[in-house]
Amino acid sequence: MSFSLAQILLCIVAYLTGLFAVAYLADRGLISERITRHPATYVLSLGVFAGAMATNGVMELAYRYGYSFLLYYGGVVFMFAFAALLLLPLLRLCRVYQLSSLADVLTFRFRSPRVGAIITVAMCLTLLPLLALQIQVVADSIHILAGDAGSLFSRDNRQDGLALLFCIIITVFSILFGTRHVSAQQRNTGLVTAIAFESLVKLGAMFVLLIAAVYGIFGSFAGVEQWLQQSPEVKNALEHSRHDNTARTLLVIFFAGAVCMPHIFHMVFAENTDSSDLRTATWGLPLYLLLLSLPVLPVTWAGIRLGQQLPIDYSGLAMGLELRSTTVSAAAFVAGLSAASATIIITTLALANMCLNHLILPTRLLQIDRDINIYMQLKWLRRSLIGILILAGYGFFIALSGTQTLTQLGLVAFSGTLQFLPGIIATPYWPSANRKGLIAGIATGLTIWFFAMLLPLAGQFSIPLVSALSDHALAAGDNHWANAVLVSLTLNASIFVLVSLLTSTSDDERVAAEICSMDDSTRPVRRVLSLHSAAEFGEQLATALGEKTARSEVNRALNELQFSPGESRPYALRRLRARLEANLSGLLGPAVAHGIVERCIPFQAGPQGATEDLYLIERKLDRVQSSFTGLTADLDNLRRHYRETLDNLPIGVCSIGTDGEVLLWNRSMEHITGVAPREVLGSLLDSLPRPWRQIISDFQRGDSHTLLKAEVARDSGQPCWISLHKADGGSDGRSTDTVILVEDITDFELLEEELLHNERLASIGRLAAGVAHEIGNPVTGIACLAQNLEYETDPTEIRFAALDILKQTDRISRIVESLVNFSHAGSSSSGEVSLAPCNLADCVDEAVHLLALDREAKPVQFTNQCDRELVVLANSQRLLQVFINLLGNARDACDDYGRVDITADCTDALVTINICDNGCGIPAELQAHVFEPFFTTKDPGAGTGLGLALVFSIMDDMNGSVSVSSPLSDGPNPGTRVTLQLPRGSYGNTFDA
Amino acid sequence: MYINRALLLAVGVFIIFSPAVEDWIFHAESIWYRPYQLWLLVIVAAYWNQRSSYPDEL
Repeated sequence: MSFSLAQILLCIVAYLTGLFAVAYLADRGLISERITRHPATYVLSLGVFAGAMATNGVMELAYRYGYSFLLYYGGVVFMFAFAALLLLPLLRLCRVYQLSSLADVLTFRFRSPRVGAIITVAMCLTLLPLLALQIQVVADSIHILAGDAGSLFSRDNRQDGLALLFCIIITVFSILFGTRHVSAQQRNTGLVTAIAFESLVKLGAMFVLLIAAVYGIFGSFAGVEQWLQQSPEVKNALEHSRHDNTARTLLVIFFAGAVCMPHIFHMVFAENTDSSDLRTATWGLPLYLLLLSLPVLPVTWAGIRLGQQLPIDYSGLAMGLELRSTTVSAAAFVAGLSAASATIIITTLALANMCLNHLILPTRLLQIDRDINIYMQLKWLRRSLIGILILAGYGFFIALSGTQTLTQLGLVAFSGTLQFLPGIIATPYWPSANRKGLIAGIATGLTIWFFAMLLPLAGQFSIPLVSALSDHALAAGDNHWANAVLVSLTLNASIFVLVSLLTSTSDDERVAAEICSMDDSTRPVRRVLSLHSAAEFGEQLATALGEKTARSEVNRALNELQFSPGESRPYALRRLRARLEANLSGLLGPAVAHGIVERCIPFQAGPQGATEDLYLIERKLDRVQSSFTGLTADLDNLRRHYRETLDNLPIGVCSIGTDGEVLLWNRSMEHITGVAPREVLGSLLDSLPRPWRQIISDFQRGDSHTLLKAEVARDSGQPCWISLHKADGGSDGRSTDTVILVEDITDFELLEEELLHNERLASIGRLAAGVAHEIGNPVTGIACLAQNLEYETDPTEIRFAALDILKQTDRISRIVESLVNFSHAGSSSSGEVSLAPCNLADCVDEAVHLLALDREAKPVQFTNQCDRELVVLANSQRLLQVFINLLGNARDACDDYGRVDITADCTDALVTINICDNGCGIPAELQAHVFEPFFTTKDPGAGTGLGLALVFSIMDDMNGSVSVSSPLSDGPNPGTRVTLQLPRGSYGNTFDA
Repeated sequence: MYINRALLLAVGVFIIFSPAVEDWIFHAESIWYRPYQLWLLVIVAAYWNQRSSYPDEL
């Protein structure tokens, strides 16, 4: 039974049209997202791993190496079952930094465009046998179906034309559905759905072959068992590789293939949108491969039993011919066709991205015109590369003349990509690895691979050194390829390690190594950008990308990060820069993207600001907190505890970087300033609203570490008072940030105001008796004069009496006025202290006069020796209160013959007033406490302990100071000196005017 | 990103018991699909492991 070429062509076209339809419908959304976005679709799309090797080549593996054929699947199963070891770290890197290929990852990790170029060239070379394998399966299948099974290896009779047609259709499909998005990181829904569909077709076809083998060839499952018992050589062959190194080599090769093969890498990482899908794949893909591998042994045994001339790879087609079943033949053909097409499409797509990002763009083989739409240029470049790569694969297939078995082609391709395994393992696990080691290792491994694996494939090269190597060093029967693979990998890894250890690693590589590091111990460095807004980013990027593309990329990054176009916060700008680099990496590759961003959006040079990005670290820790266990969880809990404590402190805490970036802002700061942490964290101090911007930045820049009191005018009109303290840097000298404590002392200030008023009233109370007496005397005098006036007739006497009465009433008025003034002083609710020039001597006189009203007090002698012309800048009423309190205290400290001298000196700016008494003095140990509220040495009930505290507060309000020294002399009356300092004042213009 | 310690333990167990497993698979009287039973066991373990994993630790 054979098919005509037209029938075969129709079958190919029908199948590929179906594939086009699925991809088109998925892209247009006509297939429900529940299907296209379902994890099962993603898992099935990973079935791209099972190329023609899985539908055909693996049968030869089973035939030659027995159970070891399972390692073809086992390597991938192992990689996915233990995804957390390698796949998840790589997925994290690829997701965050928009990396879409192995070359992207290694270029990003080793910070070298050269690494990317070498990997790309090597990858293209190593994958040519794989592409040739896929094309050969299709070509051979067409050949067999067309009825020329007997002359399969005759080049003249092969249907290379149909194979070429197949390649062209595949090229069109790849271009239409694989390059829809400009960034390689964006998911091509149509492509993924089509590949998943192909996996289903493949599986269905393989099960048809299983049924055909079991029931068509052997009769039943029991028939298979029976045949196996009767064929001990077949059963023994299952254990073929048990005692040599073939099995281990196969496991290593296919384990590496799961991550080093570009088509698998592309499907696993570039087309993945959700890490939970990868988790599903950790058991889903092994399950799929288990089902796919179930038919392999029965079909292979069926092929052996039939004993046809056909290679064992085509046992499915042999069964179709034997059973004369169109269904079985078609199933065998479609299985190979679907597997080959899926592999070719994804492989060339991935290789095209790599060539574009690592060969064309960095080396400027083709110039991108910035004035024309860059996206379209990139898209067409990628499309052209896909065509070229498929044609290259076809060319390699033609060159080989079909002389190699599928297994040989597959093993050469897989063992080639195996050389990238040391680099990919080092990416998350070995931060000391460097690019020199990587390049040296890969060069060594690939050289051995080239001479020991690729050249022998062609079969016509005989190089003495290679022959000697094959005959002696690698010789081990027909398994010398396994030795060659192990030798190449061992030398590759050894040289990689040695060169990395012996050579220096660049700073750039160290940073990238920390980012890629598996233990995630990296502390993001907070560096200071040279640009200050997103708009400036766009302007600078325009020099490299063109204005339109730059604007589009900046807007895209802003949208993804949900930042506003006017963004200027340093933290946000750093994130924007990283996102732009990641997005450009998806577009142009990591090497070019890194170069553009470094050039256009540079960080400032120098160490300033190079502290850890605490905000970013905290966000990261918050995000992954659930995965912490043991000591790490304890540490995280401790961190949270301290963080909460800091946040809940009743004192405002903020931390400011040297560049003015706000790094910490707790809840109390929000309560005091009304500015929420989310509004200010990561921003510059300049972005704070008034008046906080001025207060905090002045204090940060100032020399003083403490500001006891600052008045802040709020928008509501209610004033508030704060005290500020700051600490610069850390004790270890690493941190250059400033920590500022802000305490709201408004309540304290208001209470102090109230106490001041109460103290004043108390003073008035104490003076009341004296006042009554003082007023009583003139009133008595007035009464006597009034009585005399009643009988006086002499006008002159009457006039003198009237004058005396007026004098007495003036005296009363002065007393009352003094009291009223005193009682009202400082009772202003606004809390503002207005300072004005006032005569010092007059103020002292008035205080002395008021104190003299107290008749019960000791008759101490007050001597005012102040210059009558001396003027201070103060509030006269409050200054009066100061003197009342100080002179009153001095009087209380003296005995009946005490003496209190008030003197004053002045400089250009300051007036120093000394109040000296010869009282009992103040013990040295108490002097530090005399200005504290409620501290008194008087008997209970004799003093409130607020007098000197209020003096301190008032002097501070008036920009003055007060201090105490005692004793002044030896003896029973050592005395005390209270020194006041006030700004010097002048009536100046008041009189001039 | 931290390595799941259960996975590391599983790798260790796999290495230690691989000779015994090999003997079990290649036992003279064993049925030909015995390796698939082991494979199924791996799938069940992988399924159980991913269920107990955190939703997104990336």
